[in-house]
Amino acid sequence: MSTKGTHIPDRLKIPFAGITPAPTQAKGQDLFPTGNWRSIRPVYRDKLPPCNNACGTNEKIQGYLDLVKRGKYVDAYALIKEDMPFPSVTGRVCYHPCEQACNRGKYDEAISIRAVERFLGDLGQALTHDVVKAGKPNGKKVAVVGSGPAGHSAAYQLARLGYKVTILEKSPKAGGLNRGGIPDWVLPQDVLDREIERLVELGVTIKTNVEVGKDVTWNELKKNYDACVLAVGLTEPNSVRAKGENKEGVLYGLPFLRDIGMGTSKVKLGARVAVIGGGNTAIDCAREALRQGAVEVTMITVEANPQEMPAVPEDLHDMLEEGVELVHGRAMTAVLGKDRVEALELHRARFSGAINASPITVNRETPAERFHVDNVIIAVGQRAALGWLPDEFKSERGTIKIDRFGRLGDTHFFAAGDVVQLGSGQPLMVVNAVGDGKRVAFNLDKVLRGEQLEPRTIPVDVIFDLNRMNMTYFPHFPRVHQAVLAPASRRKTQEEVIQAFSEAQAVEEAARCFSCGTCNACDNCYLVCPEPCIARPSRSNGLYKILVDYCKGCRVCIEECPTGCLEGVPELDFDTGVVRMDTAFAISPGLHGRQAEELRNLAERAPKNI
Amino acid sequence: MSYKELTVWTRGIIMDKEGRDIVNSISAAARLEGKYAQAMENYVDNPDRTNAPTRKYCRVSDGVIEHELTYENEQPNIVVLVEGTMVKGWDYMRGMPPGGTLVINTHYTPEYMIRFVPGADRLAQLVCVDAAHLADHKWLYYRLGELGLDRLSTEGAAERNKMVAPDIAAPLIAAVVKTTGIVKMESIEPMIANKRAFEMALDNLHIMPLNPVAA
Repeated sequence: MSTKGTHIPDRLKIPFAGITPAPTQAKGQDLFPTGNWRSIRPVYRDKLPPCNNACGTNEKIQGYLDLVKRGKYVDAYALIKEDMPFPSVTGRVCYHPCEQACNRGKYDEAISIRAVERFLGDLGQALTHDVVKAGKPNGKKVAVVGSGPAGHSAAYQLARLGYKVTILEKSPKAGGLNRGGIPDWVLPQDVLDREIERLVELGVTIKTNVEVGKDVTWNELKKNYDACVLAVGLTEPNSVRAKGENKEGVLYGLPFLRDIGMGTSKVKLGARVAVIGGGNTAIDCAREALRQGAVEVTMITVEANPQEMPAVPEDLHDMLEEGVELVHGRAMTAVLGKDRVEALELHRARFSGAINASPITVNRETPAERFHVDNVIIAVGQRAALGWLPDEFKSERGTIKIDRFGRLGDTHFFAAGDVVQLGSGQPLMVVNAVGDGKRVAFNLDKVLRGEQLEPRTIPVDVIFDLNRMNMTYFPHFPRVHQAVLAPASRRKTQEEVIQAFSEAQAVEEAARCFSCGTCNACDNCYLVCPEPCIARPSRSNGLYKILVDYCKGCRVCIEECPTGCLEGVPELDFDTGVVRMDTAFAISPGLHGRQAEELRNLAERAPKNI
Repeated sequence: MSYKELTVWTRGIIMDKEGRDIVNSISAAARLEGKYAQAMENYVDNPDRTNAPTRKYCRVSDGVIEHELTYENEQPNIVVLVEGTMVKGWDYMRGMPPGGTLVINTHYTPEYMIRFVPGADRLAQLVCVDAAHLADHKWLYYRLGELGLDRLSTEGAAERNKMVAPDIAAPLIAAVVKTTGIVKMESIEPMIANKRAFEMALDNLHIMPLNPVAA
């Protein structure tokens, strides 16, 4: 046999000639490699699920749902903690862009990702020791200004990288917006306290009552620390520039919530309260007003209908359940009253433009309306207080000017969170600030180690199309809903409105996950392969192997993969996997070759030998 | 005296007819020219299994072919791979004397494909032709069109067409005839059903000259 230049792997050579078992006999498969029947090769290639892509901090949502499904709760908690320092907080407050993106939403109902995250966060809080450990100290000091979501996240990631982190917080209690912007009935203070304890356990020092620009200057930050992350947030409320806005009884949204959160509130609300604004903070203010003793709360928005309000529909629904009235298409033009607010002057108005820095068209030709109130809470956005910042780093939007890595020029200062995201088109959410803090921490680490900064990679293959998965494997199954306090009973208490999942509920909900585009070790390919040429030492993602010597490229595994992580790639794209045979059946020289040889020699042989 | 052997490697069921059309039409054309020719299929390869590699043989000679008791081509001068991936899997170069020709149906270039060819020093030329594209496979489903697989070219009941070379075979015949001159162009062209693909292929061959043998 002329095998010059051909390659037959040793493992495929026949041990002794003459006995070739049929493929169906014992060991027959070993001698019958059908890999060269193949023109496409199945390849496990995980894609990005849409939830991971939509999440502000790119939590590995599919990963932890899969672990919850298998009962590996601590592993799931450890996975979530890679990207999210406080799952118990975001499990309560997040506006869950992941659930909006969830592919299951196109099929029946999106998965309650937030509720599972809360289940894991609460589980993590109950652990005696956190799963996350501080990195090996590298001797470098970093200051983080602000202990809100972005600052907390940056400090957490830097501590894990081995930095000595000091958080400077101007309020008497750490927590920033998590404490001051989110009411107790959404996020109980003890939950947040526990998460901050966890941060301190990582070795982070938190200095409260330290305000940048007052107690510590720019130059001191520069001198005393190797690097600094500015996550100061938006602290100053916007005004609506109405006449008489300085009258007693006029409150601003975020300070109103902040004072209650910090326990320093002296506000006593009257019976009739109006809230100006249609965003999420306005909704929180309206609901908090009820709990602070108001009897009748009215929300006055410029938007013409509820759908246009820049608020989360669920929260709006909960607010309306609690009995808050909505008035649309009005703008407050004056606060009427002697010293104290007695009524508001409203005009018809139209909202046009972006969520932030809105130009409002007020129609002054129609007669003004008088609206009796005892208090008015103005919640129309916030801005940053950046008096302490050198002018060269201020942007025209009133934010900190950064490059695409979150860095201020060539300095070792970085900025993250709402103070850079305002007006960038990115919605101002806790989870986006956390993601920003995380990325800035990694960039800071690279700068201090003298490495090249790389721009954020664009996710190349996100599965948005249900046709890329095999939907026959997913029966319709309703979403598990979280229990909610009855509207009448929750109106007056600070108790959490939305209740936690039980273990059974969390597992049931996690089991609904499609695991879009990502192998979740369902074993389907292993079972359906007719050859069988899919091998695995144990049932686990990443351990499935295609035996390319035997795979015929029949596509059965690709078609039957429920999650769409298996792909058919043209075999010619691979240099490997060459198994050469002489004929279709045998590795040894073909039967016909031998017969031909005998027949050719026939004439030369003596008749008795035939 | 000129004696040439042509071996076609094709895939069972799905591209079986393509291979048969190549050997039948070339041997028929040779007989029209007054030559002696044989064409046969290798049933031992079991062409009734989908995707299984099967061989079709053709011999063209100026004189009587005495080789009648065996049908396996011992020394193929020309090898045609009807499906490009076969370049990786089989010892199709076995027995080829120096100065041979290898024709592959693929959209890759000869420069890419040569890495998979065992014993390429025996080749005088490597010819790549994107036959699946030239034959314009509108009826292919999945991504088989990109791979050059013809899912419907089956034997028997499901066979689409009784014409000779209605699709992928036509550009391949053009490639064989143009690069080797085994038969004359004018004797084979009237037999081909897909004239358009046949003519387009004559202008769209990717020929890589290798080691010519001195005549």
